[in-house]
Amino acid sequence: MNQEYPVVVLQCRGVDDPAAPADRRLSPETCWTTTYLERYAAVSPALAVWRHDRAATDADRADQDAVADWPQECLRFPADLFSQRLLPFRSAKGQVYASCNDATVPPESAVDAALPASELAGFTGLDGTGDVRFEVRSSTENESLGCSSEVACSLVVIPIMGISCADADAACRGTGSFPPGSSNFGNVGVDPAVSPLYWWSASNWQHRFTVPLTFALPPDACDVLDPRAPVDMYGSELLSQATLQWAPAYCLRQDRFKMRHNRQTEEASLRLVARGEAAAAFVSDPAHDPPVPLGYAPVAVTGFAVAYVADLPDNAGEADRMRLTPRLLAKLLTQSYPASISGRAHPGLERNPVSLNADPEFVELNPGMSLTTEEARATVLSLSEQADTIHALTAYLAADPEAAAFVAGTPDPWGMVVNPSYRGVTLPVAEWPMLDTFVRDINRECESLNKVPYLGQVAAPVTTMRAIAEAVLDAWPNVQTQCTRATPTDPWKFGRIPRQGYGARFMLGLVTLGDAERYGLRTAELRTAGTGASATFVAAAPGSMAAALAAARQAGPGEPFLLDRSALSPDAYPGTMVVHTAARLSGMPPADARHVSQFVRVALEEGQVPGPGNGQLPAGYVPLVASGPTAPLHAAALAVADAVEAQRGAPAPQVPAPGGLVPPSGPGLPGESSAVLTSAPLGVGGLPPEAAVPATEQGLPADTAPAAAAPDADGTTVAGRSTTAGRLVPAMLGLSIAGMLGVPALRSFAGRRSTP
Amino acid sequence: MAPLPEGALVMSLALAVVAAIGLWTVLHLLLLSGLAQARAQHDLQAELREAIAGETAPLGAAEPGTPVALLSIPTLGLRQVVVEGTAPSDLQSGPGHRRDTVLPGQAGVAIVYGRAAAYGAPFAAVPTLRAGDGIAVATAQGEAVYRVDGVRRDGDPLPDPPAPGTGRLTLVTAEGSGPLAAVTPDRTVYVDATLVGEAATPPGGRPAAVPDAERALGTDAGVLPVLALCLQGLVLGAAAVTIALRRLPSRTVWALGLPVLAALAWLTSDAAAQLLPNLL
Repeated sequence: MNQEYPVVVLQCRGVDDPAAPADRRLSPETCWTTTYLERYAAVSPALAVWRHDRAATDADRADQDAVADWPQECLRFPADLFSQRLLPFRSAKGQVYASCNDATVPPESAVDAALPASELAGFTGLDGTGDVRFEVRSSTENESLGCSSEVACSLVVIPIMGISCADADAACRGTGSFPPGSSNFGNVGVDPAVSPLYWWSASNWQHRFTVPLTFALPPDACDVLDPRAPVDMYGSELLSQATLQWAPAYCLRQDRFKMRHNRQTEEASLRLVARGEAAAAFVSDPAHDPPVPLGYAPVAVTGFAVAYVADLPDNAGEADRMRLTPRLLAKLLTQSYPASISGRAHPGLERNPVSLNADPEFVELNPGMSLTTEEARATVLSLSEQADTIHALTAYLAADPEAAAFVAGTPDPWGMVVNPSYRGVTLPVAEWPMLDTFVRDINRECESLNKVPYLGQVAAPVTTMRAIAEAVLDAWPNVQTQCTRATPTDPWKFGRIPRQGYGARFMLGLVTLGDAERYGLRTAELRTAGTGASATFVAAAPGSMAAALAAARQAGPGEPFLLDRSALSPDAYPGTMVVHTAARLSGMPPADARHVSQFVRVALEEGQVPGPGNGQLPAGYVPLVASGPTAPLHAAALAVADAVEAQRGAPAPQVPAPGGLVPPSGPGLPGESSAVLTSAPLGVGGLPPEAAVPATEQGLPADTAPAAAAPDADGTTVAGRSTTAGRLVPAMLGLSIAGMLGVPALRSFAGRRSTP
Repeated sequence: MAPLPEGALVMSLALAVVAAIGLWTVLHLLLLSGLAQARAQHDLQAELREAIAGETAPLGAAEPGTPVALLSIPTLGLRQVVVEGTAPSDLQSGPGHRRDTVLPGQAGVAIVYGRAAAYGAPFAAVPTLRAGDGIAVATAQGEAVYRVDGVRRDGDPLPDPPAPGTGRLTLVTAEGSGPLAAVTPDRTVYVDATLVGEAATPPGGRPAAVPDAERALGTDAGVLPVLALCLQGLVLGAAAVTIALRRLPSRTVWALGLPVLAALAWLTSDAAAQLLPNLL
């Protein structure tokens, strides 16, 4: 925040319209700042530049702490010693926070509050331009600020051009001490007249630009507006952004239902579905050994991305392109960068580059990046839980010969080797293991109290991909190596390192494409083919993701579409994933079956229209439509929706005849869709297509007819088999008989041979 | 008869050892393990009676191996104490209650596994049950009576989930086919029975899932260290007997060593049997 001549960006409640009623009008008092230091000034009179502001009123220029209504709790300094100025914060509920110390601030800006600061002071480059990313917060994140679909807010941009002085005061006429285009990394003192601290002074405030902001419905809109009991669907975080937008399109309509997406690991979600405790699960990979047949309807084509924030050296702005190879990702995941000089004591890592940006392989692909090493630059923030995303990521690594050879122990061309703890680790895996046990030997009280694996603290994976996206957004790595203690008498513990400063940011995180688009994160291009300079790198884009669908294979009707990551074409984005709605095909309560099939049908229609509105598809997802490369998925999803509603086992193999289950609409090619679907008929309890379609146009069930047609509307028993159990006793009997017969036979045979 | 050449001697000794191991395995699985199981049942029955009388019998999640219910099927003459857990070691002492299901008598589906060939083969005759046969289960919550709905094999339709407030008991075992059907149980078979009367409310707190060793036909590789120790003991015992044979009269040695060797072999077999499918 401490810059000279910066551009201050703030989020404020109200509209910048003099005609608006007073309680809806923008003012410095409704602008959010995370620390009270940005609202309260107490400096010696010589430095009180706002008291010489030509644009201010006489009252503003007066010594404020002398006035009658100065808050009692702010009487910190004697009035004659300091010039003080207070800008209280007015919350959405009308409460006024004096904001002169940590006790008089809104709860969201208290010490150790959940969210870091969002307001910022960006610096301007030598070419007169600057580029910052700003996080807009709604009442869900910041209740005191309280921006919502009903409370209008604005983005306020204030170029700090120096306070216009009313007199010849020396401090007020200060022009700064930093050369143009530079950033105050060291956070040293700045010239107050050109600092962002006094953004509220009248001469700064009058230069503001305001951008009106409107907000969508809050995520709890359904809970507020719809009293019905929710239908719980569990599973993949890849779908979070989509279900966030889809949910109001279901709960706000009486003929639909109230859906709720609970983020949960895919494995646990499938277990809940198999046991009948959840209506549906959102997964990419199939269940291992489901006790009941499950149907998988593709509802979204999205994927993962490696998001990054990287500032170029010498204040040249942010890197807008990063290229990563599978081997670089493997190096990051296997904790093969020692992260710091003391980490080099790790056996086997002595000669490895300290961090990613010092790796010659990375430098060759991404020239011009900062070469400063730092712990946060040695890792990619990843997931600690089981996730299909981790499976997809590791399958991408396993499919690459270079990455696979590196993990197996082959040094890269620059001599870097894999961390011995991870040498030969099995790929792909659905849950990334934390295998390194190296503890730093540092003579520090906090290190000796907390004997924890060092590189594990550097990696510090988290449980949700949303947390990763927010960490990258805030450039706040989750590296847990900061020694902290609550009070000087408490024992030391490890905590999160501080946020990275503007101009020196560099971190990577594994995020969903939905989150990357929602938060405006930059994502890395991933290598698909070739090596060295001739390699192909592909960014996540609708075209490259659609190209990846060419490698999607389905084992049979109702089964999920799996991407063979070794068969991806060079122009396909390797992070592409298909998310399916998995539900039981038998034994589900009719109401749940109706809801799940309705969900799939609606998600496939209005849910695939790109846009920011309720029920529409957010950015980061490829529309799954009945034509083009997504046609097989679309047809399969509709078939599964029918099978889920019918609850009579796996869907029948599709017949490409016109009377088939799903006549593809629009310019879809029936031959193309059925070619995949008929590849391996499953046929367990499959019914002829005509009988399997009792559904009406409204998606309502034909409640009694199918039950009467099939006496037991259920799946089938699958017997476990064990050849060991079946053959053990006969084999043992055979062995003993052979032995008993063999001994006398051998004796007589050998005896005859030896007698003559 | 002339002495055998050395190669033939080794061969015949090896064959004899193989024959002995095979015979011992069959003998242990089909006969001796049954004795041990009968003995374990005797103890478990006493333990269960005491627990029910003292109102300490488990109503929900319990330590594996604890007796939880007394299962009797009059038409088969079967009367067995059901233990908690379905790992191979639990099923060595009697039928086992799958830990992620409700107890018999409670609302929901209760699943009980039983062996079909070894360790007394308590469930060998269960696939012969017919619809309408009665099953009585006594637990700490009283006696529950079930009526058999039918036997389910591969490809048969799954039953509907029980309505809320009603209970079902599913007995799971394995069966074989052909002339050696009784000792070659290679596929699972399920017998469903519906609770007659009112179901008790399950207390909750059950594990959400069970490890693979506790699923149908599961094997428990966790016993391998124990097995290694048992085998070491067996080798040490055999060596001690061999050495003693050179110094002491053979009659004394056999009188002393045979019980020790038999006990060690028994222990080893019990451990090795945990590597076999739990429904065998």
